[in-house]
Amino acid sequence: MLLLFVAFTLWPMVASWWYSFFDWDGVGPATDWVGFGNFAEVLQSGAFWHAFGNSFLFSLVAIFVEMPLALLVAILLNSQRLRGRNLYRLFLFLPVVTTTAVIGIVFAIMLDPAGGFVNGLLTSVGLVDAPITFLSESYALPTVMAVDVWKGFGITLIYWLAALQTVPDDLYEAAKIDGANGRQTLRHITLPVIAPIGVVILLLTFQKSMNPFDLVQAMTEGGPNHATDVVATYIYRYAFDPYLNAPRYGFACAAGVVFGAITLVMTALQGPLLRRQYLKGSR
Amino acid sequence: MNNVDLSRRSLLRLVGAGAVATAVGGLTSACNLVGGSEKSSGDKVTIKVALTPDPSGASQFYRQQFDLFEKKNQGIKIEVIENPSLQQLNAVELMFQQGNPPDVFRAQDDGFDRMFERGWTASLDQYVTDEFTSRFPAGSLDPATSGLHRDGKLCTLPLVWGKWSSVRMLLVNNAVLKQHGIAAPPKTWEELEQSATKITQAGGGKVFGFAAMWNNGDPIKMFQPTAGAWSIAEVGVDLRTGKAAVTDPSLGGAVELLRRLHAGKVMMPGWETWTDTARIYTAFAKEQLAMYPASPFQVNEVRKLNAKIDMSVLPIPVPASGRAGYSGQRSNFSPLWSMSAQSKHPDQAWKVMDFLASKEFHLAYYEKFGTLTAVESAWQDQAAANPDQKAIMDVAAEALRRGPNPVLTSPGGKELWNAIRGKQDLLWADAAQQSILRNQPFAGPAAQLNAKLDAFIDEQAKALAGKGITASRNDLTFPAWNPLELYTPGQK
Repeated sequence: MLLLFVAFTLWPMVASWWYSFFDWDGVGPATDWVGFGNFAEVLQSGAFWHAFGNSFLFSLVAIFVEMPLALLVAILLNSQRLRGRNLYRLFLFLPVVTTTAVIGIVFAIMLDPAGGFVNGLLTSVGLVDAPITFLSESYALPTVMAVDVWKGFGITLIYWLAALQTVPDDLYEAAKIDGANGRQTLRHITLPVIAPIGVVILLLTFQKSMNPFDLVQAMTEGGPNHATDVVATYIYRYAFDPYLNAPRYGFACAAGVVFGAITLVMTALQGPLLRRQYLKGSR
Repeated sequence: MNNVDLSRRSLLRLVGAGAVATAVGGLTSACNLVGGSEKSSGDKVTIKVALTPDPSGASQFYRQQFDLFEKKNQGIKIEVIENPSLQQLNAVELMFQQGNPPDVFRAQDDGFDRMFERGWTASLDQYVTDEFTSRFPAGSLDPATSGLHRDGKLCTLPLVWGKWSSVRMLLVNNAVLKQHGIAAPPKTWEELEQSATKITQAGGGKVFGFAAMWNNGDPIKMFQPTAGAWSIAEVGVDLRTGKAAVTDPSLGGAVELLRRLHAGKVMMPGWETWTDTARIYTAFAKEQLAMYPASPFQVNEVRKLNAKIDMSVLPIPVPASGRAGYSGQRSNFSPLWSMSAQSKHPDQAWKVMDFLASKEFHLAYYEKFGTLTAVESAWQDQAAANPDQKAIMDVAAEALRRGPNPVLTSPGGKELWNAIRGKQDLLWADAAQQSILRNQPFAGPAAQLNAKLDAFIDEQAKALAGKGITASRNDLTFPAWNPLELYTPGQK
């Protein structure tokens, strides 16, 4: 186990740190030492910070839109009185198991302003006068984010459903006897009990949201005009873009290290807050 | 316990037997290597060919062709390794790094130089005969202009016709133009703008006058060379002066043309979001689009999708003030097939290379895909009788001229050229796209980029000197080059 960890986790990480100090094209030994040159270039690159900002926005949307929405739907689907709830769960989970590249391409076709299904519908019912270019520079980021939320919604929903199963029925019965209404039950029973698991869901959702590479690459390749560029597509361009005659693996590694470090700090900053929430919830 | 002991013993025996078998196998294969597989009768040498299965249908095509080859060369078996186009170079590099390289591989255009610089490509001169040379147009394998030679040695072979990679054209739907009362296809940028505007305005959201695939500034790279030196759109440098020329009016004019077309909602909506070339030629084939600038392979794709389309293949329009340059052809051919310098069976690998450059193979490729290939004699007569293909050849003759090639001229030129291309932040395409999409003037960002690019060239020259490579602006300067004329190498 330790060997596997070293080979497939530790070594690639350490290697990328090492390579980030070289001007290296990915082939043969890295010999052209540039010190912190790559890091300086990354930190001064407007394109990197733009991509970073977009990655961060993906996280904000996942945490503040996807998580609460999934919780709301999970509470509805957890109701014993809802008929066909397993079917709803299945439908909501289907996008999770669908190939992201396929989703990206299908959505790009559906959202096409010239003959796409969505614009056809919107114009035919008179909601819009002219087709909307959903993937234009202005709308591409929110559009891709919406698709990302839709795609990842099912998994967050499953997390929440699992969390809701941990609430003992006794507590609900006691609340009912005490005359608590639905809102009071939610506020004083459900949410406090699932809060510790909510902390874990938050971390999982945050980590997942930081890497929407496949969806962005399939839908927009980071464009137009880098409007949907995230750190992963930025790194990909420098390391693997076939149009780049001399790939800059060293620079791409430096960008990855910087991104990893900032993500680590952001996760660590959540620690005390989440710990407090966790302890409060488990009391 | 006894059972456990027995199991262990059995296990040890098995391991021992396995080790012996492996050792014997290893020794046997080592003998084969040392003795040469051709000596053992009945043995076949396996040649690994790493290629990309494009265009569509190429997988089956290559297998059929290699089956034919194997029938004629009983001692050779070809193992095909397919990689997606975008992953091919990285995959081949990994194969070399892992010590298991292909014998023959596809490394296209600049990708070949990546392989060559690492010493992975074999020199082919020792195999070349007069018969081989005669397959190609006279003089086209001259080391100075072939594009296939490095350091004076033939190192790679072409697949497509030399002009195929460089020529660009305007595809026009004549029927759509006629429906909108436009008598003739546009010859100038201004006519194009007027015709496209008229069609889009009358098209009712169903038919559009113009569109283009952005793809790192491709449409600008197609229009700009009609107004100035093509190298300006290629890397932002004027090869007549060796200086940054992002502020050149030819580039600015092409950006402004697209900016006006986008701002006026003349272009097919969503064009800026397209990432797949199929999107644009499909729209054209469906007659939603009247005109667009294209590369030659798209002519075939359009015809495959809509055999009856009334299509013209024409030169890219020029500014109203007249032509000031041509699209640049940097060499007679583009690299494609290479032979590994580490091949254990170079003679057999060459036979495969020789087959891939044969008239028989090139004719089959032409007939299957409609691509004009490097061995012109294989398809010349048929292409002359095909209106689409004849039009492509006519456009190439009219709108393409050989230009200087710093990559082939000097090591410093190659390093500087590649350094500029690798410095994405200094390429004009992003600034131009922003200008077009946001309807902002290009001149300001162009001036900033120009200063940065010039400074970068100086910095790079110094940095290369530190690595022992002599490089200066002189390596990027060809003062005798006139963009309106054919360039002869050596002209400085």
